[in-house]
Amino acid sequence: MTPVQQALLILLIPLASAAIIALFLRRKGGLATIVSMVAAAAIAGLSLSLIAGGERFTQSWEWMQLGGLTISIGFKFDDLAALMLFVVSFVGFFIHLFSVGYMHDDKARARYFGGLSIFMFSMIGIVFADNLFMMFIFWELVGFSSYLLINHYHEKQSAADASKKAFIVNRVGDFGFLLGIILCYWTYGTVNLTELGMISDSGGLVYSKLIPLLLFCGAVGKSAQMPLQVWLPDAMEGPTPVSALIHAATMVAAGIFMLCRIEVLMVPEALNIIMWIGTATALYAALCAIVQSDIKKVLAYSTLSQLGYMVAAFGLGSLVFEQDGKDVLIFAGVGAAMFHLTTHAFFKALLFLGSGSVIHGCHHEQDIFQMGGLRKKMPITFLTFTIGVLAIIGMPGLAGFFSKDAILLLAMRNNTAVFAILLFTAILTAFYMVRMWKLVFFGATRSDNAAKSHESGLSMTLPLMVLAGLAIIGGYTGIYRKLAGSVADLVPHAHGSEHTLILVTSIVVLLIGSLGAWAYYKPGTKDTLEQNSNGLFNSLTTLKESFDALYGYYVAKVQQRFAMLLNFLEQIFLAGLIIRGFSGLVGLLGLGARALHLGSLHAYVHWFLLGIVLLWVLTSGLF
Amino acid sequence: MIEIGLNAYILLSVVLFAIGFFGVLVRKNTLVIYICLELMLVAATLALVAFSRYNGTMDGNVFVFFILTVAAAEVAVGLAIIVALFRKRMTVQVDKLNALKN
Repeated sequence: MTPVQQALLILLIPLASAAIIALFLRRKGGLATIVSMVAAAAIAGLSLSLIAGGERFTQSWEWMQLGGLTISIGFKFDDLAALMLFVVSFVGFFIHLFSVGYMHDDKARARYFGGLSIFMFSMIGIVFADNLFMMFIFWELVGFSSYLLINHYHEKQSAADASKKAFIVNRVGDFGFLLGIILCYWTYGTVNLTELGMISDSGGLVYSKLIPLLLFCGAVGKSAQMPLQVWLPDAMEGPTPVSALIHAATMVAAGIFMLCRIEVLMVPEALNIIMWIGTATALYAALCAIVQSDIKKVLAYSTLSQLGYMVAAFGLGSLVFEQDGKDVLIFAGVGAAMFHLTTHAFFKALLFLGSGSVIHGCHHEQDIFQMGGLRKKMPITFLTFTIGVLAIIGMPGLAGFFSKDAILLLAMRNNTAVFAILLFTAILTAFYMVRMWKLVFFGATRSDNAAKSHESGLSMTLPLMVLAGLAIIGGYTGIYRKLAGSVADLVPHAHGSEHTLILVTSIVVLLIGSLGAWAYYKPGTKDTLEQNSNGLFNSLTTLKESFDALYGYYVAKVQQRFAMLLNFLEQIFLAGLIIRGFSGLVGLLGLGARALHLGSLHAYVHWFLLGIVLLWVLTSGLF
Repeated sequence: MIEIGLNAYILLSVVLFAIGFFGVLVRKNTLVIYICLELMLVAATLALVAFSRYNGTMDGNVFVFFILTVAAAEVAVGLAIIVALFRKRMTVQVDKLNALKN
């Protein structure tokens, strides 16, 4: 099997699985689970052999020709794609495995696993895409599968609303993305990533802020950056493994991946805006996370915050500077962002699956103030979750430490203000993670559900253990280089005093945040912050809700009014003048024609005679 | 033998046709209307024969054979319909046959 065939197989297996489930196995949950599992295992196996095979290729087929526009479907399998493919297929496989246990009692299992398969297909499509059109198609497909899966418990109104919100908010970002693609095609005559790279190498790029910023809109929507971050916390209505797969590890990271793909198009002003949006998102989400009581919402805001880190890293590290009269692009941003993306996929999937295990064990209790004391009852979950927490807060020696330090290093070198904000965010990260960890696993059990909790089965604990292993070792250069190849070389490294400085800073930050939270929060049914400092608690809650309120206000007051105006105009002109007008005219004609219909044969014969006479008069040329 | 010109035949044909059409216009009995229709058909046939004779070709005559054949079949069907109609409605007066109106 050639690598291209292998890649094609990886792309098509999940599609086949989704099709089989959708067509034949809608009512057979058990079989659907097996089909989807086999597909996920096949993808993981094929992907690993493709990545380990070391073959990197590009291959493109023409799909359709519309005038001068050629749309092609193709594979661009370089080290970046290989890294992303590893994350998607490997983490995806373990999340499938976890789902087998987690969704065991669900009545709509078949729909769920069909959704997972169609998601795998779409996501792998993004990873392989060699041009922006193809990427956009699969981009929309992941949005669709995300909609399907958030909506899994569709009998719940909140889940139905959340899925619609996610879809619509993404549409806003995708509109910008599409405009960016069109503008890119308009300007360069191609959207093929390899050709764009060649144009850039030959210095043929036009200086345009608009193209990268419009393309960035797509990432703002998909990776939930400000101001389109509102959909991600609500998307937690979906089943927890879905949150782990789509809303933590892979789909939301697609925005970062896409940015890394179009890096050559970047210009300094655009990078500056990207950097600030990422930084703002990181800080905002970390602040919101502090006052959440739902275990999944805490993780959702933490995901937002970490995505902000990645976007900021991309903006920081991909600086363009002039050298010998030529613009030179450095790729440190890609290195740091992809590094953090990978480690984040490991530990965030681990944390989400851990929370899934907790939720499953506690009989679908999600409020951390109703848990407590789970350390003893769920030892494996506790241990793996702890590793996840330590990884995300940047404990030295774990994956998150290395990738976060790479980002902080970039910030320190390039922008002091961003560096300060990201450091503060790191304190907050340690703070809210330790808060949640302590409330869930320590103290006394505070509800019946938590008291009756139990450790989950092997299909759920095995993924936790594997991901915990990756969360520990994933950050070491030797291991990461095996996965990422040349992308690993782009990761910035500190040397000498810089190294000591960044190491000391990050440890101090870690200690302040985690010890603060450990000392401050007393396990109880009430939030300690709410009790001690109500004002601060309320302002943080308001901060979280202000965006929703703002959009709610916009939709209700501005958009609704505008829609009413359009509706009014439509009623008058379209429905009134045109539709009613025409129907009235036809009705009038009918009224006249009806008068002719007398029911008397003789009347018809007279009309006939009249007709003949008229015809005769006309043909005889009398007039 | 008196030679009768084309005009006389055409005139007769026109008169027959006019009588037939007038009958269709004024008579109320379906059967009579039907006879009048046949009269109109015959008028047309007569004109065809007359033209055929005048031109010295057989085209018109051939047409007439076809018309006669078709007319025979048509009469059978038409009369059958009228009989069926009478059985159902007990009348064949056209001013009573207005069930489709309203």
